[in-house]
Amino acid sequence: MNATFEGIVKAFRWWRGLLLAFALLAVSRIFLPLPFVIEVVIFSIYTMGCSFLLGRVGFISSGQPAYLAVGAYATAFYLFYFGTNPYVGILLGVLAGLAVSFVVGPLFVRLRSDYFALVNLALAVIVFYLMQKVLADITHGDNGLWFLTNLASTPVLDLTRPKDFFIFAFLAALAVWAFYKYLDDSVYGACCLATKINEDKVTFLGYSNFSIRLLAFVIANTTTALAGALYAVYLGFVSPEMSSPSRAADPVIVTILGGAGTLYGPIVGAFAYTGMKDVISKLVGNWELFIGFLLVLIMLAGEKGIWGTLQPRLEKLLVRRHATTPTADRPADT
Amino acid sequence: MTTSEEVLTVRALNVCYGESKVLFDVDLSVRKNEVVACVGRNGAGKTTLLRSIAGFLKPLAGSITSEHSKLVGRKSYDIAKMGIKYIPQDKKVFSDLTVRENLELGSYATGDYNWARVTDYFPKLGVLMDRRAGNLSGGERQMLMIGRALLGSPKLLLIDEPTEGLAPSIVSHLRKVFGELSRNAALVIVEQNLPLVCAISDKVYAMKEGRIVAELAGRDSIKADVCERYL
Repeated sequence: MNATFEGIVKAFRWWRGLLLAFALLAVSRIFLPLPFVIEVVIFSIYTMGCSFLLGRVGFISSGQPAYLAVGAYATAFYLFYFGTNPYVGILLGVLAGLAVSFVVGPLFVRLRSDYFALVNLALAVIVFYLMQKVLADITHGDNGLWFLTNLASTPVLDLTRPKDFFIFAFLAALAVWAFYKYLDDSVYGACCLATKINEDKVTFLGYSNFSIRLLAFVIANTTTALAGALYAVYLGFVSPEMSSPSRAADPVIVTILGGAGTLYGPIVGAFAYTGMKDVISKLVGNWELFIGFLLVLIMLAGEKGIWGTLQPRLEKLLVRRHATTPTADRPADT
Repeated sequence: MTTSEEVLTVRALNVCYGESKVLFDVDLSVRKNEVVACVGRNGAGKTTLLRSIAGFLKPLAGSITSEHSKLVGRKSYDIAKMGIKYIPQDKKVFSDLTVRENLELGSYATGDYNWARVTDYFPKLGVLMDRRAGNLSGGERQMLMIGRALLGSPKLLLIDEPTEGLAPSIVSHLRKVFGELSRNAALVIVEQNLPLVCAISDKVYAMKEGRIVAELAGRDSIKADVCERYL
């Protein structure tokens, strides 16, 4: 009986940070427009892979739009040419991301971080021109693929309805976060951090840096492909603009804004970035310039990003409360 | 000639950094449970020798074998998996990880989760489990590095300048630990602390300008004044 109770308490402690974060996200849906919250959820999934690569493995990836487009186009090809079930489309998008990561990963992860960033950017350029020019017969070039009306209604959660799609994207994000939290807590998560801190010493212990990095690369980019697949189903449309190298900085900026390598940084970053864009673009004409300056100021204020700066303060606050309240639980998971 | 008792045999090892040759025809052998020390001035090639054995440097010529298995050409993580663990000089642990996580890394790679042996040798680590390794003192870091290397019961430990910059009390503790470790594993220690070398070594190789210039075997031959000539 005691063991069961302890198991429940342990599970609660593991989940409570995640549940609190996602409860706040769900509550925000009451006050904010649905398209905005959906954008935040998908963008945070998009950023999660980048944050994991940068914060845990030390790789800046400037090629995330490539993997986003792989997921989106795989989903779009299925829904435009072959089928109507959006769940199958999303699954194919994720599998395409997995496959591409496994093909290019062994070549890319051997490189130093700076070359890794450049070669990924080159991949984004390649994917962009493939979709825009080379494969224009099947991608319809700049016109893109429109398939919103092809989507069939699905049981339980009907992804053709925005409200149901939000619930699905929300649950998908929760699953992604639970997976990354599991990785963070695992020995593999420690291996990733160790290879970032000192790659030589990882090999002293009998680990292959290559294998650690390849797995991280595949996990991160498959997550990005999931975001691409979700975008495709949500918009019912894909175009080469999605993989445009000019958008390559977006996930990196959001990662740094939120706090690279932190579990909740991508959600906070996606919320802040999407919010800033949304609000400022309504008030100011050249909003990109304004956001650029604002980002510089935010980075200068705290180079750990928003969540990276807040997290230790919140922990201190909770620990202080814990010290004064004997029955209080441990501080929230980070 | 390699005997079955030898856990490490180095023959005619030549190593270079770019065009600069740093090891010249180095021969060395280590038997089971033997403590072998390498002494010499800075730049004599001691660390290069250890790094070559551990697979971090590719030799120009020569052979390195362990129990009839060739080590040259193997990846460093393969060599570590064979039970040959390198403990570098710089005492840099994974600073962002806790002591527990550092040990977990050692356990996961080897499948050995028996931390009691580690805390028997280094009881202090037991109370520092949740401390970030970056906040440990130099001596505690050295304990952690040695403790982590012990997981998986290695057959050979390559330890580079283990006592450099440590307090005398910790050096004295490490001296005892090395003595006990040699019951289960062979040790190759690069060290400048001659009293320690004389107290624990079964064999001493003196190095100068990339060459082995003397080999002292037996407690009677290994004396501080003899070793000092090569420093």
